Amino acid sequence: MTFGYTLFCLVALALTLVLERLLKTGVFRDRRFWIAMAIVGFFQVLVDGWLTCRPVVTYAEAQFSGLRLGCPPLAIFRAGGMPLEDLLFGFAMISQGLMWWVWWGRRMGRASH
Amino acid sequence: MGRLEYLALLTLCLLVTAPLELLLGVRVYRQLGRLARALGCTGLVFVGWDLLGARLGHWDYQPASVTGLRLLGLPIEEYLFFLVVPLCGIMAYEAVRVTLDGGSARPRRASPRHLGRTRR
Repeated sequence: MTFGYTLFCLVALALTLVLERLLKTGVFRDRRFWIAMAIVGFFQVLVDGWLTCRPVVTYAEAQFSGLRLGCPPLAIFRAGGMPLEDLLFGFAMISQGLMWWVWWGRRMGRASH
Repeated sequence: MGRLEYLALLTLCLLVTAPLELLLGVRVYRQLGRLARALGCTGLVFVGWDLLGARLGHWDYQPASVTGLRLLGLPIEEYLFFLVVPLCGIMAYEAVRVTLDGGSARPRRASPRHLGRTRR
């Protein structure tokens, strides 16, 4: 299957929206969520960039869009950098983590939101 | 760094976010039960995805940069990744929350039914 990772990321994004419908945490209307997401996104580019530029993790070219963020021109980097899809992956994972955090917080009687 | 490279990067993520707990008064590590539940619910889905993706050949790991310890075919670093990264996201969110809300004020609760309106 080509574009397998792309498809996976789109499914993950859809599942994230479905999960929010179920959990009703309200994170997507929470300014603090988007500020945190911007901060996390910045650090993702650094950490994920390191993983995919060195590389520690490699991606099959046929399985994603082929669009990569690129790497600094340094000798220690020998790969192409993070696939654009990784941003979707990260968004889905961090969103779900925060949704569960808020949801469990309410359920366990803590004011987190 | 060699085979500890991936592990070192994950450790760095924890070291960078940990001071938030002490300096900003973020209460994440102090709610271990809640944290474990949130990470468990998230990790279950994403580890499943990771197992599938690795099996389908979407991605792979450089043997020279991981310890070599594997579980169900995945490097153990990958399992740690799904604990560390969502944890960092939660730390970031709580840091923003404490900063904007001043830590003491009971935060607003958005109503799920009425877009844009807060407070029940």
